[in-house]
Amino acid sequence: MNKDRKNEITSNTNPLLTTTRRRLLAFGASAGALAWAGPKTGWIASAEAATPPSKPTGQAVIGLSQEPTVFLPLLAHIEVDEGVYFNLFSALWRVDEKGAFQPDLVAEVPTVENGGISADGLQWHLKLSPKAKWHDGTPFTADDVKFNIELIQNPKFLAGRRAGIDLIEDVKVVNPTEVTFKLKKAYAPLPSILSWTFLVPKHLLEKASDINKPEDFLAHPVGTGAFKWVERVPGDHITLTASDSYHGTGPYLEKLIFKYVPELTVLYTQFQTGDVDYVGIQGITPDHYDEAKTLADRHVTPVPQPFIENIAFNLGKPVFQDPAVREALYLAMDKQSVIEQIYYGLPSQTESFLPKQSWAFNADLPKHAYDPEKAKKLLDDAGWKPGGDGVREKSGVRLEFTNSTTAGNHVREQAQQLLQQNWADIGAKMSIQNFPPAVMWGENWTNSKFDSAMVGIDFMVGPDPDATQYFASTGIPAKGGGGDNTTQYANADVDKLLAEGASTVDVAKRKAAYLKMQELTRKDLPYLPIFQYAMVQGVKGKLEGFTPNVNVQENCWNACTWYWAS
Amino acid sequence: MPTASALAQPAVAVKIGSGAWRRFCRHRLALFGVAAILLMVLASIVGPSLIPFDSLKIDIRHRFAPPPFEGHLFGTDQLGRDLLVRLLMAGRISLSIGFAAMTVSTAFGTLIGVAAGYYGGAVRVALMRFVDAMLCFPQIFLLLVLAAFIQPNVVTLTLIIAASSWMEVARVVEGQVRSLRERDFILAAEMLGASGRYVMFRELLPNAIGPIIVAATLTVARAILLEAYVSFLGYGIQPPMASWGNMLNNAQQYLGSAPWLAIFPGLMITLAVSSFNFVGDGLRDALDARFDLN
Amino acid sequence: MANFLLGRLLQSLVLLLIVSVIGFAVLHLAPGGPLAQFALIPGLTKEDLARMAHEMGLDRPLPMQYWEWLTRLLGGDWGHSYRDNRPVLDVITGRLPATLELMGAAILISVLAGAWIGVMGAIRRYSIFDMLATIGAMVALSIPTFWFGLIVIYIFSVHLGWLPPGNRTTVGGDGSFLDYLHHLIAPAAVLALVEVAIWSRYIRASMLDVVNQDYIRTARAKGLPERTVLWHHALRNALLPMIALAGVEIPTLLGGALVAETVFTWPGMGRLLLDSLGYRDYPVVMGILMFSAVLALLGNLLADLFAAVADPRVRLA
Repeated sequence: MNKDRKNEITSNTNPLLTTTRRRLLAFGASAGALAWAGPKTGWIASAEAATPPSKPTGQAVIGLSQEPTVFLPLLAHIEVDEGVYFNLFSALWRVDEKGAFQPDLVAEVPTVENGGISADGLQWHLKLSPKAKWHDGTPFTADDVKFNIELIQNPKFLAGRRAGIDLIEDVKVVNPTEVTFKLKKAYAPLPSILSWTFLVPKHLLEKASDINKPEDFLAHPVGTGAFKWVERVPGDHITLTASDSYHGTGPYLEKLIFKYVPELTVLYTQFQTGDVDYVGIQGITPDHYDEAKTLADRHVTPVPQPFIENIAFNLGKPVFQDPAVREALYLAMDKQSVIEQIYYGLPSQTESFLPKQSWAFNADLPKHAYDPEKAKKLLDDAGWKPGGDGVREKSGVRLEFTNSTTAGNHVREQAQQLLQQNWADIGAKMSIQNFPPAVMWGENWTNSKFDSAMVGIDFMVGPDPDATQYFASTGIPAKGGGGDNTTQYANADVDKLLAEGASTVDVAKRKAAYLKMQELTRKDLPYLPIFQYAMVQGVKGKLEGFTPNVNVQENCWNACTWYWAS
Repeated sequence: MPTASALAQPAVAVKIGSGAWRRFCRHRLALFGVAAILLMVLASIVGPSLIPFDSLKIDIRHRFAPPPFEGHLFGTDQLGRDLLVRLLMAGRISLSIGFAAMTVSTAFGTLIGVAAGYYGGAVRVALMRFVDAMLCFPQIFLLLVLAAFIQPNVVTLTLIIAASSWMEVARVVEGQVRSLRERDFILAAEMLGASGRYVMFRELLPNAIGPIIVAATLTVARAILLEAYVSFLGYGIQPPMASWGNMLNNAQQYLGSAPWLAIFPGLMITLAVSSFNFVGDGLRDALDARFDLN
Repeated sequence: MANFLLGRLLQSLVLLLIVSVIGFAVLHLAPGGPLAQFALIPGLTKEDLARMAHEMGLDRPLPMQYWEWLTRLLGGDWGHSYRDNRPVLDVITGRLPATLELMGAAILISVLAGAWIGVMGAIRRYSIFDMLATIGAMVALSIPTFWFGLIVIYIFSVHLGWLPPGNRTTVGGDGSFLDYLHHLIAPAAVLALVEVAIWSRYIRASMLDVVNQDYIRTARAKGLPERTVLWHHALRNALLPMIALAGVEIPTLLGGALVAETVFTWPGMGRLLLDSLGYRDYPVVMGILMFSAVLALLGNLLADLFAAVADPRVRLA
């Protein structure tokens, strides 16, 4: 039963407005686990079909290298927290592994075709699932939806993401299962944003004295997900147990335990010894892949992730303002060795900032080739002449810069050292200057104080390829912008294409704009694309139902349909 | 954080003489320590030029070659660099940091200690309360927070390690000076009209030199350990330069597949730190006047 | 006595104030901030970060932030963790039992092993055993704790499979006492290594002092068996001053616990400090800092008090 997953995902479906009636995640039972058999073979269904138990049985221990700590999902949080949200809470709809939206708290995902969204994209009408209940037995209603939207818009609330939701106005509760609202302007990524907006109960939070610290709720969060809260032992683990009133499919496990193991090596050891059933977040480190594959009774498979590994240039620095320098550095980069040797051939080389699985991915970009001679010639022609110590310079600017990333990321540090040697070969002096995360990604990154950085970024908004915040010239924080354009990249054509892509709901038009835009960023190279990440996922042999999903950041997204094969 | 100085009991001040030298030579461990230190220093200085490999040259196709491999006596590391030459280059860095941090912290601690012990009164209270306050910080906390301010390199690392380890020297010196202060020869010097600075540095300091030397030796040991800790927690010397600490830090994840990467630097740290501790112990015994009474 | 106590307490309060000012200033002036962790989260923009920084009051002048922190602390409010939104005191006390358990086990091991090695060393002074113990103690003090921990994991967990590689209990296990004990062995032994070295040296020295005292000679002269004399009379008296050592050793032990907890993924205070420093969770870091400062001062005070009570020659001044 070979499945060509690549075609499935990049086939021109309409992920924005399509919906299927198929119950969410029903595939978990029939298809078994998918396994990546290498770049040539593609995805194959590995496990024999097994059937889930009739009532929740057993437990799965999910090992995480970071600790989930934020249990009010609308607050600012990090990726690891979402693994808990997917199981404890529900959003209006979810995005499945093919990039399609599946109803969760709604009875059907609103589209232009079914009348849920007006043709201009401004009027929305949501029909909610009548079966959904909070874990304390209170029914989930339209009032809850209204409460959540207003909470995110409340200026006193420390909401993490607000983009898109701040365009919503005029929220009206029609009846307990229907709610309508308007948008100030059409905004294509909104459905994607709502797919990661996990809703919280009005009846428990409206009376909280301090909405940023509702202590009772944080100590015992109540959601609508497949699992309900049992306990948290801070610094150690979180236990959830099967909800008996879940509105969707599953759960099949009786207990779900999120175990915090701060060291990746130790986490791997615990997976080896069997203490941990599934390795989440960063997965198994690439250097352990070969060894892990040989473990008995474990499925160890690389799964693609939306993160793209880049060298980000700070274009505010004079040395990077010459396009010839960026081009030459790209040519002199021994990508092959980085991917094959340092990352053990796991990630896939890319030229784009979008993952290959995105419907907007441009597969026809010029291919990178490692060619130091061509790089030297390019620099010679552009007037960068070697100085006394072999480092090139041009009109007083030396081809010398620092490269920074999170200190302690050993694999990345190896790649940095290889690039250092590559670039020294063409007369560019790069020195390594790494920082602990709170320093690296603080002012240093957000206000463009770095020279160049090695960074893995998910440029998308969930499954939506809108990358306005990273590429629009209006979003340069160092120049007072509100986005994440820390490379200070400014290209008027890119700005225009991004605006086009975000303001129409016509997918064909969006795709055309994004394809063109990828050509421009490939040419301008504000980021040198290295590869698209693949995470080595470790799952215990008999744990069925795990499905990788490049559209979410946490692969525990479907734990409600996991089960132990008997 | 293990503190070797926990063993450092302040010795009674004596003038260093031939007796002390004789006693030190009887201390076999201390002699071993001196020999090991000399050997390590020598190897770090001369060794790299004798080995036909460059410590920075990456050979990506020969990663993780187990020792011995085609002339790589200790094997190669995660980027195919010769491990032995890196160990020796790392020795330069780690030992330099150890000696430099010792010099800075001993100088500063001595200054504070002498000033506090000599002037007494409000100066003493202010200085020693400051010392007490600094000692209230968990050392690793001080190190990590200070490390956040700096670009880690040999100089800045030396300074932050010194900044977090001068307090004990200050305490030892203050105690010594305070007890010497009331001795006859100091009172005599003062009565003869010697200036404060003269008394402090010409009379008090030479008489307190024994405990200072002991504390300084133990500080080298501790500074080498601290460098390893700071690197282990990811705030240390930046690649591609090697220090024993960051080699260990990088080797941690290959403990199962390439254990030699972790074993060699760990052994080097243990050897270096033990040697300095042995020497410190020998010096303490040698400079301790009570020893003669037994 | 009362005057002495009052004076020391006042001194300690002044010290705590100095510690808090230095700690607060250094921590907040260090580059980076609590919002850095969100910088790469998709969908979260610089604008969102600026809005949050303002709501959290991080954009106000530092002295104002310190004053607010201090006045709240004096009112018993340690603030809320930025990272998980719970009161700082809950966060810290939640982690305390794990650390105390580890420290307790380590102290037990170090006192027992340290006493044995120390006494044997004192009895057979300059014997092979004594020399080996001396060398062993020096080497133990020189081994990087984290390296030793990794080697223990490598040998006993990965290779032999005798001990779990980390954690406090088996995840999702029955939580039995034996399970606890099984997990405790390796981290407690690693943490105890340094302490055994320190204790054995001090007990040896203390024993040597005691065996030359008159009452020991008297006991021997009375014809008591050597064993009774040593283990009963001498050791008891040699151990008394060690209680003061326990007080002084608390900060060292806490520092060691931090490293052992990191290597063995032990959910205690040390790891909390490391995580909180990493996230720049200022309220929690300040909480732990004040907590360990109080502990260190208390240990010192108790050590001095004990020394005074045990030895009337020590004048309380």
